[in-house]
Amino acid sequence: MGGFFSSIFSSLFGTREMRILILGLDGAGKTTILYRLQVGEVVTTIPTIGFNVETVTYKNLKFQVWDLGGQTSIRPYWRCYYSNTDAVIYVVDSCDRDRIGISKSELVAMLEEEELRKAILVVFANKQDMEQAMTPSEMANSLGLPALKDRKWQIFKTSATKGTGLDEAMEWLVETLKSRQ
Amino acid sequence: MFAKLKKKIAEETAVSQRPGGATRIPRSVSKESVASMGADSGDDFASDGSSSREDLSSQLLRRNEQIRKLEARLSDYAEQVRNLQKIKEKLEIALEKHQDSSMRKFQEQNETFQANRAKMAEGLALALARKDQEWSEKMDQLEKEKRLLTAQLQEVKNQSLNLFQRRDEMDELEGFQQQELSKVKHMLLKKEETLGKTEQELEARTRELSHTREELMTSSQMLSDLSQKLEELQRHCSALEEQRDHVTASKTGAENKISALVQKEQELQAFIQQLSMDLQKATAKTQEKEKLVTQLQEKVSSLEKRLEQNLSGEEHVQELLKEKTVAEQNLEDTRQQLLAARSSQAKAIDILETRVKELQQNLQASEEKLKHSGDVMVAQEVQIQELAAANQESSRIRQQALALEQQCTERVHTLEAQLAALERARVADHTAAEQEVRKLEQENAALRESKNECERSLQHHQLELKKLKEEWSQREIVSVAMAQALEEVRKQREEFQRQAANLTAVVDEKEQTLQERAEVILQKEQEIFQLKKGHDSVLLQTRQLQSELEALQSLRGTTRDEELRLPSPEQGLTRSVPEPLVTSRATQDPTFQLSAAEGVPNGEVGVMDLEQLQKDKQDLEQQLLEKNKTIKQMQQRMLELKKTLQKELKIRPDNELFEVREKPGPEMPNMAPSVTNNTDLTDAREINFEYLKHVVLKFMSCRESEAFHLIKAVSVLLNFSQEEENMLKETLEYKMSWFGSKPAPKGSIRPSISNPRIPWS
Repeated sequence: MGGFFSSIFSSLFGTREMRILILGLDGAGKTTILYRLQVGEVVTTIPTIGFNVETVTYKNLKFQVWDLGGQTSIRPYWRCYYSNTDAVIYVVDSCDRDRIGISKSELVAMLEEEELRKAILVVFANKQDMEQAMTPSEMANSLGLPALKDRKWQIFKTSATKGTGLDEAMEWLVETLKSRQ
Repeated sequence: MFAKLKKKIAEETAVSQRPGGATRIPRSVSKESVASMGADSGDDFASDGSSSREDLSSQLLRRNEQIRKLEARLSDYAEQVRNLQKIKEKLEIALEKHQDSSMRKFQEQNETFQANRAKMAEGLALALARKDQEWSEKMDQLEKEKRLLTAQLQEVKNQSLNLFQRRDEMDELEGFQQQELSKVKHMLLKKEETLGKTEQELEARTRELSHTREELMTSSQMLSDLSQKLEELQRHCSALEEQRDHVTASKTGAENKISALVQKEQELQAFIQQLSMDLQKATAKTQEKEKLVTQLQEKVSSLEKRLEQNLSGEEHVQELLKEKTVAEQNLEDTRQQLLAARSSQAKAIDILETRVKELQQNLQASEEKLKHSGDVMVAQEVQIQELAAANQESSRIRQQALALEQQCTERVHTLEAQLAALERARVADHTAAEQEVRKLEQENAALRESKNECERSLQHHQLELKKLKEEWSQREIVSVAMAQALEEVRKQREEFQRQAANLTAVVDEKEQTLQERAEVILQKEQEIFQLKKGHDSVLLQTRQLQSELEALQSLRGTTRDEELRLPSPEQGLTRSVPEPLVTSRATQDPTFQLSAAEGVPNGEVGVMDLEQLQKDKQDLEQQLLEKNKTIKQMQQRMLELKKTLQKELKIRPDNELFEVREKPGPEMPNMAPSVTNNTDLTDAREINFEYLKHVVLKFMSCRESEAFHLIKAVSVLLNFSQEEENMLKETLEYKMSWFGSKPAPKGSIRPSISNPRIPWS
């Protein structure tokens, strides 16, 4: 009943919070991106054991952003958070050529989940400020993104520490979420 | 006309004057011009039928000229014709050449085509061979696919079973929902009834209220009447008091008057007493005067006597006489005075007496007046007393009125309070009813929503069901095909078995016959020579048979390929395999006796067949075993899948509840392997304790909407059961919502929950 009322209220005031998951391997920069989006600053982070959840407002849309820890031992718990997710921000370290295969297999396994069937996928090719970074098209190919069907996805080159690319990515996400409603 | 002719002549002369004139008539001179010339001449003839000689000569000249022109043209044409003939010859030559070359080319092309065709044939043969291989590979693949399809069939069957279960559950749920809905409706009806009742009560109360208000109005009217009366009475009273004051004032005035009159009377009495005293004095005076008079008379007498005695003294006497006269005169005066005094006194007395009388009259009048006024006073006092009584009464009435008013006001107050209370009660009732109604509506809406959701899910499920059905039907078709194939295989197997049995029988028979034959050989060795002629023919026959056998073997090889490809022809072909054998045997039969000596190749053939058949049998048995194994594996897998599916669908059949709980391990290998994301979550012992701590801490500290998303994580981490998770969800929902009741704790507290649910009707 409460859900019913909250849904009524949310439909009245249009302030339903979008639920977004930030996923990716450990050290990809998920927590930095989360706090860059929330407070617009670079914060010093420690490896996330567990998760961070923050409310981010962007263009009158409220997002409940969940940053889930990406260490190998706690990656299996990602699936506990999949229900009612509107979008997934998948962060990939552009310089980590060795583990992009693992990243791809995790992404593919995640996208196979029924609960994420309608979720929008935004891939952040992070750490683009580094010299040996891969290009987004290279990363899209190595992540197998062009093979995705029935999925709205987009890849953006970002740098969480420099703050580049995040706005475009969020812009696209907001537009896509709005058009989907 | 003539002018025209002249002009023409002039023209023609001009033409003839031109260099090269007639001979160089260009080819482009059209027939028209010629015709026009002719026409002109025609005209000339028509018009100048009887012309002069000059005209004729000129005409002749012109004709000649024309003829010349025509001749020149003719020669031109002849030349042209000649040219054309030359060209024609050239062309013929070219044509011949071309024909030759084309023939040559044609021949060349034909040769190349032949060569190409040969090449192509070779290539095609090669390709065919390759294709053959491919086909055999494909056959293998198809076999694999078949296996997969059988597995899928099993899965689909399981799925369909689950689906039915789910559908049943859906129906049950729908029933529950309808029951709940009807319950809610019933409650709503009840509430509406109570609402109606309360409204009726309220109306009664309001009627009472109006009634009391009317009473109040009448009482207030009475009160106002009474107060008016009171005012009147007060006014009357004040008037009476004024009158009384007036009367008392007049009374005092009268008393004053009376006292004044009394004083006056006293004065008058005093005056009368004075007067009487005066009178007494006057009488006393008079008496004195009378005594004096008498004395004087005596004196006079004494004097007269003296005079008579004393005559002597005449002078004296005269003087005495004179004196006497004076005295007499005095006397007379006094007498007169006295008389006057007397009269005045009498007059005064009269006056006084009249006055006294008057006064007495006055007094009497005043006394009367007094009496009258006293009467009046008494009357007025009576009236005053009456008034006082009236006043008292009025005060009493006023008090009564006040009391009444108070009562009234009290009653009004109480009524108002009652009214207010009633109104409050009504409002409360109303609000309560509204709330209840709202709640019910909400409940209804929620139920409707849940119903919608259920319907949606139902639709979804139905869709899924449909999809699955479709899939199922497809699979069924496939499975039917497979079943057919299987049946065929089984049939084949049976046939094979039968064949094997037959063949073993045949083998036995053959062995027997072999022995017999050996005996016969021993017996008939002597007859070999006699049968040498037959031997040649038999050799031929055997050769034929061998070739036949080879053909059959090759045929068999092909059929085996085909058999791998298609199970149905396999049967026919395998069935067809022994037929040639039989036929060969049949062919052998007439020459049986002859072949006894030549039994070695036949025997070889039989042994080969036997071996082959035994091999086939073994193969088939192996296949059978493999199939049985695969069937067992599939059954196992089916069971496992069933379990996982049930777990995923949150179905807990009672008998499997504990199994599932006790060993969650075996179902995990069925999950999609090789990715850490899907690895075993139930291995709760190895979880990162820190992670658990973090999640639990967040779960306890964050907002409810966030906590709601953490339920699953917490329940996975702490290995909660489904019921415990649901309870957690319900509790959170209750906390988040404004209404609803706290969900009752269940699960581990209630041991009876694992019993099958009995739908309450």
